[in-house]
Amino acid sequence: MSMNDPIARGLASGWNVTDASKLIANKTVEADVVVIGTGAGGGTTAEILARQGLSVILVEEGRLYYQKDFKMDELTSYANLYQEGMSRTTADGAIAILQGRCVGGSTTVNWTSSFRTPDETLTYWSQTFGLDGLQPDAMAPWFQGREERHTMAPWQTDPNLNNDILRQGCDALGYSWQVIPRNVKGCWNSGYCGVGCPTNAKQGALLTTIPGALDHKAQMFHGLRADRLVMNQDRIDHLLASAMGPDGVTPSGVTVTLKASHFVVAASAIGSPGLLLRSGLPDPYQRVGKRSFIHPVNATVARMPAKVNPFYGAPQSIYSDEFNFKYGTDGQVGYKLEVPPLHPAMAAGVVPGHGQQQRDNLGQLPWMQSVIALLRDGFHPESPGGTVSLRDDGSPVLDYPITDYLWNGIREAYLNMAEIQFAAGAEAVQAVHLDSDWYTSWNQAKAAINELPMKPHRARLFTAHQMGGCSMGSNPEDSVVNGFGEHHHIANLSIHDASIFPTSIGANPQLSVYALAARNSTRLAQKLTLPG
Amino acid sequence: MKTPQSHEHPKGQLADTSRRSFLKTSLGGALFLGTVSVTAGLSGCATAPAGRISAVGSRMNASYQFQFLSKDDIALFEALLPAMFAGALPEEPNQRQFAIAAIIERIDQGIAKFGPPNQKELRKLFDLLNFAPTRVTLARVWSDWPSVSTREADAFLNRWRSRRIGLLNNGYIALSKISNVAFYGYENHWHLSGYPGPPAWMVDSLPQFHNV
Repeated sequence: MSMNDPIARGLASGWNVTDASKLIANKTVEADVVVIGTGAGGGTTAEILARQGLSVILVEEGRLYYQKDFKMDELTSYANLYQEGMSRTTADGAIAILQGRCVGGSTTVNWTSSFRTPDETLTYWSQTFGLDGLQPDAMAPWFQGREERHTMAPWQTDPNLNNDILRQGCDALGYSWQVIPRNVKGCWNSGYCGVGCPTNAKQGALLTTIPGALDHKAQMFHGLRADRLVMNQDRIDHLLASAMGPDGVTPSGVTVTLKASHFVVAASAIGSPGLLLRSGLPDPYQRVGKRSFIHPVNATVARMPAKVNPFYGAPQSIYSDEFNFKYGTDGQVGYKLEVPPLHPAMAAGVVPGHGQQQRDNLGQLPWMQSVIALLRDGFHPESPGGTVSLRDDGSPVLDYPITDYLWNGIREAYLNMAEIQFAAGAEAVQAVHLDSDWYTSWNQAKAAINELPMKPHRARLFTAHQMGGCSMGSNPEDSVVNGFGEHHHIANLSIHDASIFPTSIGANPQLSVYALAARNSTRLAQKLTLPG
Repeated sequence: MKTPQSHEHPKGQLADTSRRSFLKTSLGGALFLGTVSVTAGLSGCATAPAGRISAVGSRMNASYQFQFLSKDDIALFEALLPAMFAGALPEEPNQRQFAIAAIIERIDQGIAKFGPPNQKELRKLFDLLNFAPTRVTLARVWSDWPSVSTREADAFLNRWRSRRIGLLNNGYIALSKISNVAFYGYENHWHLSGYPGPPAWMVDSLPQFHNV
């Protein structure tokens, strides 16, 4: 492997990294802090604590994949880098869940969009959940710090046509649009972010905070699943974890016991509540797993007169917030408009169909363009979110009922997206919905979309952003942690990931997670390094 | 579940009521599927992974070790895939059979990474489709899968797609998604979607394509 690759070089230089599938006997390890999860939250936490001289152990259920493994192939990437081999859904199967499961978590497979938490969201949190410390002015330096750490900046290159069509349509209709900031350094503009960046341009946790932590003597176990936090009196005493076998999904039978004086959970908005529930930790007001949010996503596809080649080029570079806060922060549901990349397996999995019709649909992939709407859930009483609970085998599952309030937004978003695509010159537009035909004019689309049944399993829905389930707030009766991610009832437990968001964000969440984790880890490091 | 009830509810009905009725149907469905899996196992349906299958007759790659799909599941996909990929499979019978066998192997590889909970869900779905009483009542497929024509398989897929019953739509999405991803995502079929593959200039210049 090329020694230009920072991971290969780090491993060769003696990083303390253990592939748990290679363990043949149970073992016990100990550190100042155990961090569970290596995504946006866990990586940031581990680096900041390790730089302060604390001994840190990182625990990751997925495996370590890096440049040598990133060969721009959808099938192997979806199988290895995503939760449940890309088959994760909500409990009733109605919403497909895209979520990373590897070192770096979802930051290894995301499309690099890097937004600050909108001011409206932070203000709403301070007013509604008593989170005064998170007001926009107070958070600004943390966002700035993380933008530097992850090399985030508005994309300077021209957008690919897939994204430019969103811009053109918005322009034609007088809707606002902006250029997306991306966390890349020397990006080749190839379009393969979602299958693991092949060129090491993406500055996700895998190439920033994880190496930063390992360079400062942190230890990392990958292929190791956190099973249960075990208490002794009023503190967490240790974490029990199971090694996965070489396939990455079947436990090998070997267990690891991890002892520490402090534990940070950063296992995602599905994994973190799952771990807390499995551990049976104190939860006097039954808040764990509640208020789970997902930015429900619906989509339209368009057939354009010219080749779009939606599989090439930076996947996301243009967005529109025209409808995001249009009805106020907590009125009728708002949504952000973006564009997804379309590679063949993704397109074939997302656009439902079979037979000649599916073959004809996919045959026009080079001319296909798609727009997605990300609904800003959790701000209105009729958007209380979903619930994470445990299956019989202890694995977490998200139940997410879609309320009429959300269905109204989903229908409106189908309409806006179709209108935008026609305004940009689309020959035909189809809602990604089992009952949608291809419509050849905006008037036809408008009439038909107004009649589409807004029902689970008919409308095809997705989520790439899981948030909440361990809400932060000043009142322990309606939250799990305080504004610093400190557990309300257990002194040596913190939560540093998207699970602590009390609503959704209203933007792709990676920078929100990085910034909050940086702020809360800096405070945690101060507390843990106090003399005596 | 003899007369499956729709998940649907009149628009504007209280969210509370719809939630309850949904839970009821969903739970009923889950329990029902659970029973099928047990019964299917007891009645001699093949539910164990098929392991290695002889290349003779099956056209399977004899070196491939099936990790999840049983012999009955393989027969199910052999019946469904000609309808699933109508117009996209080779016409020549030998090539066609090889192509179908290769897709089924990739479906198996994909499912192997789904992990135990979703594998359990798929096991229920496949058992339901392989167990004659439920195949007849829920899928309305009268003969064993090996005797099902492409036209009948297509009609079955259309029924599960169009009926306004969430459980059936969900089954359709599961079957079509795992098949579509395994088929259109595979390098040999990229030409069908006009996808040229990773740019050659990248493959030429990136180390992961050159070092073993």
